[in-house]
Amino acid sequence: MTNDQQILDSLKDPSTKELAFRHLVSKYKERLYWHIRKIVLNHDDTDDVLQNTFIKIWNGIDSFRAESSLFTWLYRIATNESITFLNQRKRRTMTSLNDENQYLIDNLESDPYFDGDKWQMILQKAIATLPEKQRLVFNLKYFEEIKYEEMSKILETSVGALKASYHHAVKKVEEYVKSHETRIEP
Amino acid sequence: MYEKDHKEPDFMKRPPKNPFRTPDSYFESLEDRIMVNIKNTTKKKSSSSAIIRFLKPALGIAASITLVYMLAYNPINKFLQKGTAKTELTDTAGTDLLNNYSINLASIDDNSLINAIFTDETNIFAETNPDEFLAYLSTDMNDVEIYSEIQN
Repeated sequence: MTNDQQILDSLKDPSTKELAFRHLVSKYKERLYWHIRKIVLNHDDTDDVLQNTFIKIWNGIDSFRAESSLFTWLYRIATNESITFLNQRKRRTMTSLNDENQYLIDNLESDPYFDGDKWQMILQKAIATLPEKQRLVFNLKYFEEIKYEEMSKILETSVGALKASYHHAVKKVEEYVKSHETRIEP
Repeated sequence: MYEKDHKEPDFMKRPPKNPFRTPDSYFESLEDRIMVNIKNTTKKKSSSSAIIRFLKPALGIAASITLVYMLAYNPINKFLQKGTAKTELTDTAGTDLLNNYSINLASIDDNSLINAIFTDETNIFAETNPDEFLAYLSTDMNDVEIYSEIQN
């Protein structure tokens, strides 16, 4: 049962629903995990958000109308859950936008599961300083190589707006990396 | 990777690499943990739904009582308040009238009071002879003795 349509058909039958859902989790868990991880950065937070995402998917699978692909629908839920999680953190700590970026940078620096070198740390910090929308677009395009048309369905934004966001994000990341990579010791 | 009409920035010349990792065997048990979480959430949801189902009639009755209270009590209360205000107004008027009387009574001296009492009776001074009046002035009789003398 690897085909999305087969999974969806089996999910509609109560006798095979649980097994089909296990297949769905098995198929998409890693892609969704890495998508969420790029947004919230920390492993523990990512695990929480991923669990919530799959609970939402389980509860909402009956309302899935196949107007978009299953993958797009799953990504949209994961993205919304990640943003909701960050907003909740922001409300709890009463932080401003800049503080939210600082929260992400702190998360990054304290994450024991970060294996990158100094240059990759600079790149991740540069991405963490971007506004929310630009950060999402940059990650989806740069790391996951998702097409604008697909991204447009996930983020419910026009292709033109996404291209503009990506362009601004690239400029900002470039400036940040240039100004910080000179500090890396040879 | 970057748009054709833009110059590719230097950082994009490096291949994108995922710098993150997960704890060992993290993905292996993920399905089981997710299914356990889903079952726990469903149980919590159904128990909270059962509580809501149980409380629904009670909440309905409470809401109805509140509605009736709001619709009936307030108009009745306002009506009663109006009645009380009227009674208070009447009481106040009565008290004022009494006060006015008290003031009037206080301002009347003894002679005026006697005159007022005997207004409807025969004028005692009209029948009084000037000689008797002079006799009165020359005697040491008090008011009561003079009065009884005149009446007799």
